[in-house]
Amino acid sequence: MSRSETQWQNPPPLQSREYVSSEIYNNEMIFAEEIEKIHRRTWKFVCHESEIPLAGDYRTIDHTGVPLMVIRGEDGEIRTFINACSHRGALVARELSGNAKKLVCFFHLWAYDTKGNCVEMTRPEGFAECGLSKADTGLRRVRTETRLGLVFINLDDKAMSLSDYLGDALEWFEEPMGTVPLEVFHYNRGVQNANWKQWHETNMELYHEWGHVVNRTTSVAAKGYHERLWRIYPNGHGSLEPLRVQYKNYKGWENRDDQLLPGLTPGEFRVLDIFPNTTIIIRATTIRIDTSTPIAPGKTLVEHRGLGVLGEPENVRADRQKNHNQFWGPFGRNLSEDVIFVEAVNRGIADGGMPYGLFCRHENMMSQDDEIMRAYYEVWESIWDVKPVIP
Amino acid sequence: MPVQLTNDDIRSLVYQTCQALDDENFDKYLSLCAPDYQYQITAYSPEIRKEQTWLKHDRNEMVGLFKMLPQHVRMPGRFFRQACVGSIGDLTKNTEAVHITSSLVVAYTEPEGLSRLFAVGRYEDKIAANGKSPVLLSRTVRLDTRDLSPGAHVPL
Repeated sequence: MSRSETQWQNPPPLQSREYVSSEIYNNEMIFAEEIEKIHRRTWKFVCHESEIPLAGDYRTIDHTGVPLMVIRGEDGEIRTFINACSHRGALVARELSGNAKKLVCFFHLWAYDTKGNCVEMTRPEGFAECGLSKADTGLRRVRTETRLGLVFINLDDKAMSLSDYLGDALEWFEEPMGTVPLEVFHYNRGVQNANWKQWHETNMELYHEWGHVVNRTTSVAAKGYHERLWRIYPNGHGSLEPLRVQYKNYKGWENRDDQLLPGLTPGEFRVLDIFPNTTIIIRATTIRIDTSTPIAPGKTLVEHRGLGVLGEPENVRADRQKNHNQFWGPFGRNLSEDVIFVEAVNRGIADGGMPYGLFCRHENMMSQDDEIMRAYYEVWESIWDVKPVIP
Repeated sequence: MPVQLTNDDIRSLVYQTCQALDDENFDKYLSLCAPDYQYQITAYSPEIRKEQTWLKHDRNEMVGLFKMLPQHVRMPGRFFRQACVGSIGDLTKNTEAVHITSSLVVAYTEPEGLSRLFAVGRYEDKIAANGKSPVLLSRTVRLDTRDLSPGAHVPL
């Protein structure tokens, strides 16, 4: 039965944790608070260590509008700095990646070493009168920690350690990602007309796999798909018990029995969602890592990485790349559809559209249970000193 | 007796491949490709400083991809490929294939009629020169555009 205006606007007859207001996706004030209270206070995956293998290698990124530079020092340690010269704030590194033993600002040629120390101030005698010296003008360091080759940063110097933050969440990933050196072989990014949480929801909410023909045929139809249990960890992370995916169920594809990553059985699928916006997915032979950067309530930059084994033979890499590209990348059979899904949701929940999203599926913690999202939003709510006003 | 191809033959072939994909006339597209056709889309990532292959298919895999398209969730609008043939290998030489480079612009038009730039890059084609009519032996789409959100199910 269709609903009247009032019926449509009334909260659904559900427990409060079984739905969310669409305001959390399209309200400007909530978005601004999320940036301050979540993104600038929690650990954020920024790159894989293989992207900066040599001393002086760096990557520049934008984290919630803050320009950052992740660099490997002469001592091998990976550090992160705000990518802004201590003089006038110009970007110090202007390339997306590169190698530098010394970081020289192109504006007035101040220079920094890979530990963030200011090592040169052009014509320093001009600063003698005010007493400013190199000791006062180092770069702002940002907390940086690495687990399983994944480099995380945190803008909050007082935040808990990465190890405490992740807890046991990486338990299914220790062997495939921690026993052989890995390498990023695929990187693509795209700006989506959607809220950052909607992308993360799509990586958590497996009920939508019915919408993808590749997932419907290779996964939902596979033995044991529905019986897998979610594991929910403290701080909003969640992972799902492994599944053997039947890739041959999609016309023209073969099963993934060879070149498996360590610890995996043929066709094995694993997924981990890390709060607030990073996901790791393993599909037997290859790994995908997603992470997002919120731009506006309805605009999000999403980065996708594909990983294989460092130094593997060309033919093995080609097969792994093929496996990756079947599902993922801009021409994969799955990823593009997810973008179309989340953009459609974002259109539908616009002001005056659908006022609530339902996360009310209960399947005893099995794969299409919404508990992963209910747990995620409990952590999301706990971040606020004053909970956002939700109608 | 093999027929020597002309520049016009080659320009026409490149145009027809674009039009066939725009129209999603995949039988027509495949009729313009050799039995051992090879297709790939590549892009260089300055982020990871690596050449990447985003799609690599032989003819059979292209056939499979086209057959499955109706079952996929796809962008509802229409793509428009404009390839401008820029360099044609020496047709006077008695070679079995010539190399062609074309600049490529792909636009996307939404159902409501709004068009936007989707991608720019180059076609690097290898075309059989000694056949009765020209056919594509291989095509590499080398993309400059790397943000292709939401991506595409149909080859460019």
